[in-house]
Amino acid sequence: MKDVSIYDTRGLLPRTPMLPKQTSPSPSASFEQMLQQSFSNVNQLQLEADKAVAALATGQEQDLHNTMITMEKADIAFRLLMQIRNKVINAYETIMRMGL
Amino acid sequence: MDFFDALHTSSSGLSAQRLRMNLISGNLANISTTRTKEGGPYRRKEPVFAAQSPQTSFRKILASQNGDHLPHVKVVRIIEDQSPPLMKYDPNHPDADDNGYVALPNINLMEEMVNLISATRSYEANVTAVKAAKEMALKALEIGK
Repeated sequence: MKDVSIYDTRGLLPRTPMLPKQTSPSPSASFEQMLQQSFSNVNQLQLEADKAVAALATGQEQDLHNTMITMEKADIAFRLLMQIRNKVINAYETIMRMGL
Repeated sequence: MDFFDALHTSSSGLSAQRLRMNLISGNLANISTTRTKEGGPYRRKEPVFAAQSPQTSFRKILASQNGDHLPHVKVVRIIEDQSPPLMKYDPNHPDADDNGYVALPNINLMEEMVNLISATRSYEANVTAVKAAKEMALKALEIGK
């Protein structure tokens, strides 16, 4: 007779049907979602830059360079977004020019 | 580690050098101050810098544990020069002692000027690092053009 250890009770339990896999945020999120995500990130950086300028003007921020760096970050992020947008428009136009 | 980490590290350097500049300005302004709150002449102040990993988020802390970190500079203390004050004979001065000597801060003008230039240059170096990091990011964006 086979010994049954207490660690081996899984075999005794009634088989539950396999649950469908947890639909965690799929790694291959749609392009639209990705785009929206990056839009909101860039917007967040722009808002931060706005806040930094206001803080400097009202004297809450003592360091001028912190404001400048926050603004530079927003600038770089926006430029990256513009590049992505240009690429998308380019791809769209290429497809539209395709002769059928 | 992304492009912005370099900016943040330079930012900490800029803040540190700005504070150093403030202390040097204080030292220069109080070069002949004989009265302070603690009593006695003004004592020269100097910052103590320490390299610290930025502990802003769990991810950053984890990265620093893996040795993948950019140490930020942080002012941990401001020390006061403990060297004895300069004694100047000036019996008419209200702060003169019984022998007619006045205790003046032991601040060397030349030394302060050298520190001033050093702080300015360090600040400029950090600004250059910020500019270089930004240029790199913008150059990367030109790949797609």
